[in-house]
Amino acid sequence: MRDTRGLISKVDLPLLIGILTLMFLGILTVYSVAYNPEHPSLFDTSQKYGKQILWIGVSLFLGFLILLIEADVYRKFAEYIYIVTLLLLVIVLFMPPVHGAKAWLGIGGLGIQPAEFAKISTALMLAKWVDETNIKLQNTRTISETLGIILLPCILVALQPDAGTLLVFTSFFFVLYREGISFDPIVLSLLRYFPRLKFKTTWLGTHFVPFFFFLLILAFLSLFLSSSTFYPFGISLSGPLFLIVIITLVAFIFLAFILFFGYPRNKSKNLIVLVSSYVFSLFLVSSITFIFNNLAAPHQKSRIELVLGLKEDPNGADYNRNRAMAAVGSGKFLGKGFRKASVSSMRTNHVPESETDFIFCPFAEEWGFLGNLFLISLYLFILFRIFSIAERQRSVFFRVYAYCVGMVLFYHFAINIGMNIGFAPVIGIPLPFMSYGGSSMMAFTIMVFVLLKLDSQRRDVLR
Amino acid sequence: MNLDNRKYLLYALVIGTGFFYLLRLFYMQVVDDSWTRRATEIAEKRREIIPPRGVLVDRKNRKIVINKISYNLMVVEERIKHLDTSSFAKLIGWDVKKVKARFKEIIKNEGVYKNPSTGKTQSNYRKDRPYPFVKDLTLEEVTRIASRLTDFPGFYEEPTGTRFYPYPNGANILGYMNEVGRKEIEADAFYRPGMNIGRSGLERSYESILRGKKGVRYIVTSATNNEIEPYADKKFDTVATPSPKIKLGIDIKLQQYGEELMKNKKGCIVAIEPKTGEILTMVSAPCYDPNLLAGRKNIRKNYPGLITDENLPLFARPLQAEYPPGSIFKLLQALICLQEKEITPNTGFPCNKSVVGCHDHPSPSSVAKAVQYSCNPYFYAAVRRVIQPNKKKNVFEDAEIGLNNWHKYMMAFGLGTKLGVDIDTLAQRKGLIPNSSYYDKYLGHHQWAFSTIRSISIGQGEIKLTPIQMANIAVIMANRGWYYTPHFVKSIGKKGKLKTYRTKHITPINRKHFDAVVEGMRRVVYEAGGTGKEAKIENFVVCGKTGTVQNGKNKKNHSVFIAFAPMDNPKIALAVFVENAGAGGAWAAPIAGLILDKYLNKKVTNKEKEQTIKNANLMSSY
Repeated sequence: MRDTRGLISKVDLPLLIGILTLMFLGILTVYSVAYNPEHPSLFDTSQKYGKQILWIGVSLFLGFLILLIEADVYRKFAEYIYIVTLLLLVIVLFMPPVHGAKAWLGIGGLGIQPAEFAKISTALMLAKWVDETNIKLQNTRTISETLGIILLPCILVALQPDAGTLLVFTSFFFVLYREGISFDPIVLSLLRYFPRLKFKTTWLGTHFVPFFFFLLILAFLSLFLSSSTFYPFGISLSGPLFLIVIITLVAFIFLAFILFFGYPRNKSKNLIVLVSSYVFSLFLVSSITFIFNNLAAPHQKSRIELVLGLKEDPNGADYNRNRAMAAVGSGKFLGKGFRKASVSSMRTNHVPESETDFIFCPFAEEWGFLGNLFLISLYLFILFRIFSIAERQRSVFFRVYAYCVGMVLFYHFAINIGMNIGFAPVIGIPLPFMSYGGSSMMAFTIMVFVLLKLDSQRRDVLR
Repeated sequence: MNLDNRKYLLYALVIGTGFFYLLRLFYMQVVDDSWTRRATEIAEKRREIIPPRGVLVDRKNRKIVINKISYNLMVVEERIKHLDTSSFAKLIGWDVKKVKARFKEIIKNEGVYKNPSTGKTQSNYRKDRPYPFVKDLTLEEVTRIASRLTDFPGFYEEPTGTRFYPYPNGANILGYMNEVGRKEIEADAFYRPGMNIGRSGLERSYESILRGKKGVRYIVTSATNNEIEPYADKKFDTVATPSPKIKLGIDIKLQQYGEELMKNKKGCIVAIEPKTGEILTMVSAPCYDPNLLAGRKNIRKNYPGLITDENLPLFARPLQAEYPPGSIFKLLQALICLQEKEITPNTGFPCNKSVVGCHDHPSPSSVAKAVQYSCNPYFYAAVRRVIQPNKKKNVFEDAEIGLNNWHKYMMAFGLGTKLGVDIDTLAQRKGLIPNSSYYDKYLGHHQWAFSTIRSISIGQGEIKLTPIQMANIAVIMANRGWYYTPHFVKSIGKKGKLKTYRTKHITPINRKHFDAVVEGMRRVVYEAGGTGKEAKIENFVVCGKTGTVQNGKNKKNHSVFIAFAPMDNPKIALAVFVENAGAGGAWAAPIAGLILDKYLNKKVTNKEKEQTIKNANLMSSY
């Protein structure tokens, strides 16, 4: 066992400081939101802020323990950790539901959410799998086995049900894409039904993950904008038309890149991809808009509208989103100041869950755009730090795990803040290191400290 | 394949998201104001503070109109969440059964009304409306309950102020209040739905003072609409200013006594302090307990009965009823004749019953004796000289000049015009003093002379006065020629009375002419053959004049008496009018005597007379 000082010196300090800063901002915001004048002490564990400090203390202690464990242990025991987590996810389904979801494991007030830890174990399992199979993720069998690793916890989480965590699991696809997963074999096997078409590889199969997500986002956007109107340069444009204009502009930019900067060798291939993507995008946007406006039954339509926040129903189903956006918007440039949040404070309780899933809300209200600029920059800094850590690993296991951590954090960041500003539907997932709650705090801390440990030992590992 | 390039896709995703989020946040927080407005709408509330309504005291600082503040525990069904019935019942000190029953009762009874078009009873109960769950809680009760109401969303306390009248008297003076209408809310920013406004009497005429000045508080409210804290450290708040105390000239004890005397009779008593014009008492009989119309519940219960009562208790007779004055009018006639030099104090006329009817008495040899005997032929002869001054040869043209001259005098006595009492002017009547155009309209131009209109000389015929005008005549007699407009409000806070009531009205009658007429009034009470002996009291010299007002065929005469006392330096002037009671001396004079005794001697010596009057029931004669 190494001495502690050497241990700390090898830890990536910028990432650690970034995380600690987030934790500090989290305590500050929880203190502001949940402030109880009868218990003004920050360390009063009967209050949420005291508890949050307790959680952070426990989490950092766990993190310290993790630093003491040999990095190799995680690789060795990855599948056991994965299986134990799966078992926990099964057991949790037999627990009494809390707020309609069977997500909690524990007795009385103390409990953990196995789903939070499933992200870590799945990441470890995935990393080990990709590392050890040592094969390219480019044949049908390995692809299905890899997908199985992700899908198994996904199904169990969906049974709880926990849509947020389910969504977060899809972040692993981006990691697999980075690691070279190709859906080409599947696409090619489908193409066999068209005898005239003969390809060795397809662009669609190779880049299926980003392409699929691009389509999803495009579909989401065309629904999201279907009933709004934009006024660029004084011209009135309906939402879908505006989207088409944007797509066309982007297509022209890509066209210019291909013609002037691209390799001449790839020119014709790139042009085919661009044109077909463009045509397909237009088709997608217009067909979704048409289906939504003309074919969807009214109740389906209004449900979709509410989920997307298109319909104004400030006191009904759209309650949280409306209150949260009012709180964020009213923060203005400099914010209302510490403990001055009038909409999102727990005392007024206009924004439910403002100490947990909606913690961005009071932060934005109290610190304004300036605070948000700092917070978002801090998250981007942390994410990029993790990416750069990932890229400097010699071990595939380490790199895959690092990217998994980065993408999980990114998903949480993007969805959580997105729902506060009307960019994402209201899905209950915590803001990493800031939201009040023991399970998520411990899970994120463990996740990052495992990464820090792996990173600190990167030189010891030979590929 | 170069997989390394794929990392740039992830970088672009992260950078792009961060960039678009910041752009969006910049738009929401810096560019667009609508979210800030929405936040204000959600969490910051403007609360108006309505000060307690002004209190009225009588001339001896006895509180006669106060506010009874009570609290209602209100419930909005829609806002109730997981009500723990047993602990709620414990909080309000009921048992669970009663709480459940009350919910059913509210749904069944509150908001129930009779639909005027269909005649069916309907309920407009709504889940989003507040209804009182527990009514009339005291301050102690509500402080205990309110602190724990946060556990029971849907319930909140609300103060309700209703007027309370410690003395059940003077209803027609004080007036009543009722909920504001839609038009009033639109016309005046002070009012909000559910507030009350003065509907009659002083409540109406002094509404703008009594309501006070509203204050405003800006507060931060919670999702359950509870107040959390003041907004912006009370920077924008303003304080509510309650109405100053309003002191009335009324002597509530005298008012009470007057109402007791007038029980089971129709008519009025109006007493005024001559030196100030302050109304001491204004009894309108029959009357009602003002508490019957205090608060909406009471109004709903009692108003229909009062408004349909054939004896018109809501009708403020002293201001709104017009009666012929009868013989009390002779006092003014005597003064005008003296001023016009048509007679002297020692002019005598024979009591010639062939011209106009009279009772048996010696022919008066002076003005004083004419007043004493209330001699009809005397005043017929004297007033004839005023109406027919022989200025024109044509008798009709002459009467026109004479009548208009006479009319001018009468106007100066405050007759034929609204006196301007400080109860809203709509509730006051002018009375009627005819002039030439009046008769021209009915009889034709130059179609009339004194002989046509002679009954005005004895206060009959077309002449009509309100009882307050009659009392004002007594004031003019007491003051020997001047009066202040009669009024109720003595002072508003530290300020005195309104300027209108500090302006002396001086009649065009010379001071010296009063002596003879006032001597006549003394004789009415004290000399043999006087008609008002029943008004006599101990210690003070009373001057009075009776009137017996003919009132059409088959109806008993109205009984009138006006008086002031003492003769020198008078303290009180009054008019008593009893409908269909008979001779002035028989009913009005003894009532006046009792009032004078009560006011000047502070106690009534003639208990027998008092009992007779109190017990007398004239209601069968109406």
